Amino acid sequence: MTIRQMISGVKQGRLSRRAFTRSLLAAGIVPVMSSPFPRRAMASGDGHATVFTWGGFDVPELYQDYIEKHGDVPDFAIFGAPEDGLTRLRSGFVSDLIHPCMGDIPRWRQTGLFQPIDISRLSNWPDVIPSLYEEPHNLEDADGGVWQVPFDWGQTSITYRTDLYDLQGEESWDILWDERYAGRIGMLATGDDAWWCAAIKAGVPFEEIHTDEAFEAIAAVLREQRPLVRTYTDDTSSLNQALAAGEMVAAMTWNSSAVELTFEEVPVRFAQPKEGALTWGCGFMLHAEAPNPDRAYDVLDALISVSAGEFLTGDYGYGHSNARVLELFDDEELAALTLSRDPMDILDAGHRSIPQPPEWSARMNTLYEQIKAGF
Amino acid sequence: MIKRHEFHKPNRALQLYAAFFMGLLYIPILFIPLFSFSSGLYIRFPIEGWTFQWYAQLFERTAVLRALENSVRVAGSVAVVSTLLGIFAAKALVRYRIPGKGPILGFILLPLVVPPIIFGVALLLMVSTLGIPLSLYTIAAGHIIICLPFAIATLLPRFEGYDAAMEEAAADLGENGWYVFWRVTVPIILPGIVASLLLTFTVSFDEFVMAFFLGGNDLTLPLYVWGQLRIPRAFPVVLALGTLILLFSFALVFLGLKINKRGSIKIMDRE
Amino acid sequence: MTITHSSDGLGTTGARRGTSSLRRLLARFESLRGLALLAPTLVILGITVIVPFLLMSAMSLWTQIGFDYADDWSVRNYTTILSEPLYTTLLLRSLGMAMAATLLTVVLAYPMAYFLAFHVHRNKLVWLIIITLPFWTSYLLRVFAWRVILGYEGVINSGLMEIGLIAEPLNVLLYSRTAVIITLAHAWAAFALLPIYVSLEKIDKSVLEASADLGEGPVMRFFRVILPLSMPGVIAGTFLMFIPTVGDYVTPALVGGPNAQMIGNLVQLQFGTVNNWPMGAALAITMILSITLVGLLFLGLMYALRRWAR
Repeated sequence: MTIRQMISGVKQGRLSRRAFTRSLLAAGIVPVMSSPFPRRAMASGDGHATVFTWGGFDVPELYQDYIEKHGDVPDFAIFGAPEDGLTRLRSGFVSDLIHPCMGDIPRWRQTGLFQPIDISRLSNWPDVIPSLYEEPHNLEDADGGVWQVPFDWGQTSITYRTDLYDLQGEESWDILWDERYAGRIGMLATGDDAWWCAAIKAGVPFEEIHTDEAFEAIAAVLREQRPLVRTYTDDTSSLNQALAAGEMVAAMTWNSSAVELTFEEVPVRFAQPKEGALTWGCGFMLHAEAPNPDRAYDVLDALISVSAGEFLTGDYGYGHSNARVLELFDDEELAALTLSRDPMDILDAGHRSIPQPPEWSARMNTLYEQIKAGF
Repeated sequence: MIKRHEFHKPNRALQLYAAFFMGLLYIPILFIPLFSFSSGLYIRFPIEGWTFQWYAQLFERTAVLRALENSVRVAGSVAVVSTLLGIFAAKALVRYRIPGKGPILGFILLPLVVPPIIFGVALLLMVSTLGIPLSLYTIAAGHIIICLPFAIATLLPRFEGYDAAMEEAAADLGENGWYVFWRVTVPIILPGIVASLLLTFTVSFDEFVMAFFLGGNDLTLPLYVWGQLRIPRAFPVVLALGTLILLFSFALVFLGLKINKRGSIKIMDRE
Repeated sequence: MTITHSSDGLGTTGARRGTSSLRRLLARFESLRGLALLAPTLVILGITVIVPFLLMSAMSLWTQIGFDYADDWSVRNYTTILSEPLYTTLLLRSLGMAMAATLLTVVLAYPMAYFLAFHVHRNKLVWLIIITLPFWTSYLLRVFAWRVILGYEGVINSGLMEIGLIAEPLNVLLYSRTAVIITLAHAWAAFALLPIYVSLEKIDKSVLEASADLGEGPVMRFFRVILPLSMPGVIAGTFLMFIPTVGDYVTPALVGGPNAQMIGNLVQLQFGTVNNWPMGAALAITMILSITLVGLLFLGLMYALRRWAR
């Protein structure tokens, strides 16, 4: 079942929650093999590529081409936030691919842990939307390749309950600072999202985000918000359930929460705040000492394929880097997903984070942790 | 003794309390199996309907099977290594006059009380400084620290509980060391060995904190569960997986404790 | 414990009797043979415990700069910990919450241990196994179970709403310090119970009978005989539970919410998102030192109490 059927089904009230659940099950079952003990599961030392990514990106639907070629999904490791992942990589953890965002590229390259990706080895590369990778940071010193293959793009914004949250005026970041709903606001625990969104709320231009004044202004709004926050978490499972239950009326989320909740017929909207949302693009980088580079290229090619994109957009509501995926959806559907035919429409309409040095990242994360703990 | 005192008589209030305590202990855990059969995606009463579908899905997930395989490998080797070390150490501590016996035992049992996060980060620091890649091996190293106290605690009372004269007699008959060990010592302490294997296997199989800090790209089951907690639609499947893990662990531990009639309880005397 | 002469140990792998001089040396120095048997264990623990510990102590004196460390040997991390309210507050909070959980557990476990020691005569072993069973099994899942129970739509809330006691789910159950304390108490109950049970079990029944024969009532007898004699078990149980719970981070992460984060969460963050390993090392060491300090204070207090009671 695709987004098209889903949306129209939900719209016409035909699609019950049960039917939805069943379709999800079907989607989950089909691609996986039937034997409970597939050949290689019990064999030792298989040569599958390892993908280090966010929870939810370890589903077989995104790796169809890889599965066809190698019989099974790659290995996965999951991080809560990319910065967490980088720390693990720096502490001796080796995965073939890892999934950071565009703004991370220069800082991550500094660690020397990554190698440029040879785009000529990716059959789907010609379909990749150029504006998603044509960043100087991504191209320089990459021997004609890229450091990061773009994969998903979208927004960090607010998912709010249209029935429980009384919106007065335009949608705005103020929703997450609304004292009427103290204790019913959810926040992302990662500074990579929360800090930048708070900058938008505080009116700090991203070009100035490294200044002491910016640190103070952003910290001040986050401290102001803390008493209203039910919990800080990276785990979309908690946020979705809390929103579905009405435990929270609004939360900072990515696209997928709003889309998944809509599928479940929870009345929510993914806000388009008047100050602009935080927009981002993420992708995959290749480890310098990737143990299975050939398989890693197969994973990359599978990820940027149309079938992966159809799932990513249709089921998760994220934008995909393959231009042909957008052709599968009509304008209404894209608008419902808060996506657009040209990613840059969305990405430039909001605020995109600007790469920062590790010192900034350390200072920001330390401060955000302090604020979350109440200091 | 003339009369039976009241502390021998059944005490209704205490019996009720015991029932209440056992309820407190077990009822919270039972909700995991209960909701693993619920057809709803979220945990809530009233339960909408009953289903086995989450269990069916579980066996279609190769990631679960890989994690299971990894966990069994780690737990299996940790159980064997820590039990072997435990046999040597327990024998040494019981049979030989060793200076500083008390502090040595205290040192081995220390991980029982030190927060595991301390060992986790300390080991991570070392491994990372030495440039050793994180893998199932580093998890196993961490688990050995945690499992050794349990192995020793299980085996020590076994060695204390039997008469060394048997070994001496065999030795006096001219049997060599290994022979005496295999034919005399091992059969006597066998229940302790089996119990130690089962218990250390379970501890390692279920351990999360060490695995969290020391794990590489091969996930163990608890790490897999941790990762899946973030994904809404994986939730019921996690409950199903959790139910199976709990059942399996309960069975192993029950067997282990039952085989080893004394041991883990007696060790508390030493603290 | 009797030390007996045992003529052959494992240290002498397969060598024939009396052939090597090393063997004779070992035979003469019994303690050396014992140490040879202990050696593998001690070597492994040395590598996996002592070396990492020394390294961690050293690193706590370094400074994180960007992606690198400066080994400038300063106590800067420690002064930060002592001067910033974040660290001291979370440390004190962790000690306080662990104490509350320990107290709760000891109070709840004592009557159960008493019941086991004095009122269970048959199948004692089975009882003990059943009580300790949950302790051995997946910690993560037991914490997770409490999320299921305390959640906004969890067992308690939906149960109470179903029977009509409340109209709106209670918000206070999950994401609170109480939630963490309850979860910790539940998770460690068996660990604290065992030593109490052992100390009660050891009490000579004739002492109780003598006390009863002297005309002391059950309450008197409990406070004058049983409780003092079981104090070593209570103290052991307290330590066994208090120390590990101070450093827990899984429970506050899953059921704690913003106001119940503990020092363990902070340590974990330094090795994760915040990426300041020297600071993490310093925090870990501060945690151990403060646990030791509290432990010593507790022992001192118990000692003083005992002297006062005489």
